[in-house]
Amino acid sequence: MTQPIAMLDGPLWPYLALVLFAFLPTEIWRWLAVGFARGLDADSPLLEWVRMVATALLAGIVAKLIVSPPGVLAAAPLLVRVAAIAAAATVMALTRRRMMLAVVTGEVVLVGGVWLFGG
Amino acid sequence: MSVSADWSWPRVALAGARDALRLPAWIVGLGLIGIGSLARDVGYPVDVAVLSTILVWAGPSQVLFFASIAAGAAWSAIAIAVGFASLRFLPMTMAIMPLLRRPGQSVWLQIWLAHYVAVTAWTEGLRRLPGIPPHQRAVYFLGFANTCMVVSSIGTFSGYYLLGALPTPLAAGLLCLTPIFFLVSLTAGLRHVADVVAVGLGLALAPICERFIGGGFDLIVSGLMAGSIAFLIGRRRKAAT
Repeated sequence: MTQPIAMLDGPLWPYLALVLFAFLPTEIWRWLAVGFARGLDADSPLLEWVRMVATALLAGIVAKLIVSPPGVLAAAPLLVRVAAIAAAATVMALTRRRMMLAVVTGEVVLVGGVWLFGG
Repeated sequence: MSVSADWSWPRVALAGARDALRLPAWIVGLGLIGIGSLARDVGYPVDVAVLSTILVWAGPSQVLFFASIAAGAAWSAIAIAVGFASLRFLPMTMAIMPLLRRPGQSVWLQIWLAHYVAVTAWTEGLRRLPGIPPHQRAVYFLGFANTCMVVSSIGTFSGYYLLGALPTPLAAGLLCLTPIFFLVSLTAGLRHVADVVAVGLGLALAPICERFIGGGFDLIVSGLMAGSIAFLIGRRRKAAT
C-alpha cells in the first residue's frame, strides 16, 4: 500500500491524492486537446491520423487489461480472458454489430470459464 | 433516435439521455462497479470511489490509480502511469471536438464537453453526432454523457459495498466488462479497412511493446505505430480509388 505524503496527510488525503495523481494527469490531455483542436478541420488528414492513433490506443488498453488483468480478474486463466474477448469480437462480426449480444456472449464465456477453470 | 432541427433543448437533452439508457450507460455503469471494490481494497472512503468516476471518468486510469496504491507504487510513478494511460484522450478529444464545436462557443463550454470524452461518449459520439443538427450536438452530447455518468456513479457506489460479497467468477466478470465493452464499442465504430487495421494492430502490438519497452511508454509507442500504419493504409486505398 502506498503511504500518504506525510506533510499532506490527514482525513482529506484520499481526496487530495485523487485530484493530484488521478484527476489532473487524466484531465490535462482533454484540456490540451481543446486548444489543439481549435482551427482543425473535421476532415483534415491530420485529424484522420489522430483518430487512427486514438483507436489503436484504445485497442491497446484492451490488450493490456487482458494480458495483465487488475484485481480479481486475474482469477481467470489467460486463455479464458482471451476467449471472452474473441467471442465478443466474433459476435460483432457475425451479427451486424449487435453490441448487447456481443457483450453478453463475452461475459458468459468469461464467467463460465472462471467457474470451470478458475482458481 | 433522430433529432430534428426545431426541437427545444430539453427535448434534445432527453433524446441524448434516452439513447444512453438504451445500452451504453448500463455497460459503463456495470464496468465501473469494479472501481468501487478496488477503492475499498485500499481503504479509501466510498465518496473517493464515486468522485473518481465523476472527476477522472476513465476506467483504466481509475483501475491504475487504485491498483497502484494497493501495490505500493510511488506517488510520482502513479501520476506518470496514469498520465501515460490517459494520453489517448489527447487524440480522442481532438478528433471529436470539431463535431461539437460551434462558432462563438466559449472555451469553458468546450472544456466542459471535453471532460466527458472517454470510450463510450467518444465511440458513440463519433457515430451519432454527424446525424444531429450542429447547433444541437452539444446539448445532445451532454444529455448522453451525463446520463452515463449518473448511472456509473451509482454503479461505483454499489460496487464499493457489493463486490466483495460476490462469488469470484461474477466479480471477475464485472472487471472484464471494461475490456469487452471497449472492444465492442471500437468494433461498432469500424467503417473502413484502416479502422480494422488500427484495432487489430493496436491489440497485437500493445502486449509486444509492453514486453520490450518499459517506463510506461509501451502503450503510446504501440498506439503511434499501429495508428500510423492504419492511417497510411487508409490513405493508399483512398488514393487508389
